[in-house]
Amino acid sequence: MRKHWVTLALTAAALTGCGLSGTETPPQQAASPSISGSITGKVSLQTWALKPKFTAYVEGVIDGFEKKYPGVEVEWLDQPGDGYSEKVLSQAASGTLPDVTNLPPDFALPLAKQGLLLDIAKADQKAAEEYVTGGLDAYRFPGTEGTFGYPWYLNTDVNYWNAELLTKHGLDPKKPPTTLDELIEQAKVIKDKSGGKVYLMSRKPGLMDLANAGVKLVSDDGGSFTFNTPEAAALLDKYAAAYKDGLLPKDILTDTFQGNAKLFSEGKVAWTTGGGNHITSLQTDNPSLAPKVVPSQAMGTPPLYVQGLSVSAKSANTPAAVALARWVTNAENQAAFAHLVAIFPSTKASASDPFFSKSDGTNASEAKVIAFKSLESAKMLQPVQFNGAMDKIVNQQFALAISGEATSRQALDDAVAKCNDLLNQ
Amino acid sequence: MVHQRWFTPWVLVAPAAVWLVVFSAWPAINTVILSFTNAKPLGGGHFTGLQNFERALDDDQLLDALINSVVYMLVCVPLLTFLPLLLAVLVEKRLPGITFFRTAFYTPVIASAVVVAIIWGWLLSEHGMINGLMRQLEVIQEPLPFLTDRWLLLFSAISLTVWKGLGYYMIIYLSALGNVRRELHEAAAVDGAGPVRRFFHITVPGVRGTMLLVSVLISVSALRVFSELYVLSNGTGGPGGRDMSVVMLIQLYSRGFTGHLGYASALSLILLVITIGPMLLLTRLGRNS
Repeated sequence: MRKHWVTLALTAAALTGCGLSGTETPPQQAASPSISGSITGKVSLQTWALKPKFTAYVEGVIDGFEKKYPGVEVEWLDQPGDGYSEKVLSQAASGTLPDVTNLPPDFALPLAKQGLLLDIAKADQKAAEEYVTGGLDAYRFPGTEGTFGYPWYLNTDVNYWNAELLTKHGLDPKKPPTTLDELIEQAKVIKDKSGGKVYLMSRKPGLMDLANAGVKLVSDDGGSFTFNTPEAAALLDKYAAAYKDGLLPKDILTDTFQGNAKLFSEGKVAWTTGGGNHITSLQTDNPSLAPKVVPSQAMGTPPLYVQGLSVSAKSANTPAAVALARWVTNAENQAAFAHLVAIFPSTKASASDPFFSKSDGTNASEAKVIAFKSLESAKMLQPVQFNGAMDKIVNQQFALAISGEATSRQALDDAVAKCNDLLNQ
Repeated sequence: MVHQRWFTPWVLVAPAAVWLVVFSAWPAINTVILSFTNAKPLGGGHFTGLQNFERALDDDQLLDALINSVVYMLVCVPLLTFLPLLLAVLVEKRLPGITFFRTAFYTPVIASAVVVAIIWGWLLSEHGMINGLMRQLEVIQEPLPFLTDRWLLLFSAISLTVWKGLGYYMIIYLSALGNVRRELHEAAAVDGAGPVRRFFHITVPGVRGTMLLVSVLISVSALRVFSELYVLSNGTGGPGGRDMSVVMLIQLYSRGFTGHLGYASALSLILLVITIGPMLLLTRLGRNS
């Protein structure tokens, strides 16, 4: 009988695929090794999904670095887009983090807390003079002392309107809505004139929408979420009413943000948001739509998206690693990158570059200029502690509120409680 | 005659044994250990006793996930135990062109679950073919929320699982039907038994062992369903996350830099225990019959 139980248990274990791994690495204090010393020897650079589109660019940057510092050899690793966080996590857990790694702030935060990233504010005091404050601020985290990455490039959101659909349904593409109330008003017009076949709105609100409505998302010490406020409930109520009136597609309850951009490129909705290069992407996805798109500045405070390069605190070659991170993120190399794709440099020296501030008259160029100007007022709207699992929970609870299955207040309270659970346990 | 050394069997079994220990036994043991800790991917953790299991008792999302998994199992087990048997009986006959039907029924099995679920997502969405057709036929005025209503989404995923699994279990039954002696059918036919009576009194008893095996396999896979619900709900688990399965919940807690490995491991153990239940029950039923 005992044998029978053991066999059953082992079979079930195998069939249910049990198994997780964990490390027992104790937290360490952030180190700040000296960056002075000869820049020579091997150094590794890890980027995120830049091959094959930007292979020539990155190889050019690396060649330039190796020419400037003879005796240094750069090993370039480019990781695929999917599963990057898992890759970085396994590298961090096994102590094999490359010397220089592309980490967005939310990836850098947990590594910084474990003392795995170099505090560049201590190690390289000149950085503050060369990079824009918003970019550096993105790598300063509540509960930790220091700056844990060189900002590499910046982006923000721009509104994109389908001028043909707006005109056809009695709206003026030159006067797009600038507030949520105006948006809902115009969404009603489109719905009525199209008989419910075309939508203006097609996404659920997220934390960034709450931030724009003046809701305080997180406590000052970063230790708890605080977005279950009456203002947040009022905003969700507006979306719930709009959903009930048929101003939003029913499927948005389970749709991701990508769904919004997809519906726009299919010509089913008249509004989406995207980075400064969205029209360029549309030229591939739907070439006939691209010329009909009108860009405008994002509603409220534009969001700031930052990518950066962090240096491993355990690097065996810190001087070369810091020099490489600085080289890749210097004004010249960032500007060259920004000429290839609509991203914006994080260096102060690039602010006066007319390439970003002057339009050539095309709508794609207009979008780029709008995005560049928006960066002056852009802020990181989403707290850096807010991770993928929390995003899923917020998405789920907001869907309940919008569908009317829960009150906005209840959904917000549940979302905050669950997110705080994830944050603090 | 070749001389065989004492260690030869051990050498032959070693690769498989090492594979089993590294990729199956150790992860399973590690899961048990982690379930009593507050381990995170970075920074390890410490022993927390039964805290993760106490947390699971208060987790309303786990309750929803368990309900979903049990409903999934209760619907899938009978459907996928009997429908493939009927299909197998149909395509077992040697008729011209029968290979086409066997292939057609098997095709969904080889298609990727994700691709299939995306196609079903298109069919079932608000502007999808099924809603469009029903509106054209004036069966409905408003689109049915196949992908946004808790139960409709669950049953859409169940339909997808059944449709995709039919061909796979049909093949298992086809091989089992080959072992049912033809003479029994012939003798019963001579005695005046019709096809329905022969099916219930000869075919079903003849494949009872296979039916038990199929039921066990389906109950385990239904309890650990993931891809159908994940893709049909765009990874959201539906409004309120009430269409999550236990595996989706484990994924939610285990991934990312701040994953709760201890809690995810406790959920894995709970799933393991729940999976053993139907296996025991079905094994006992099989033994009694």
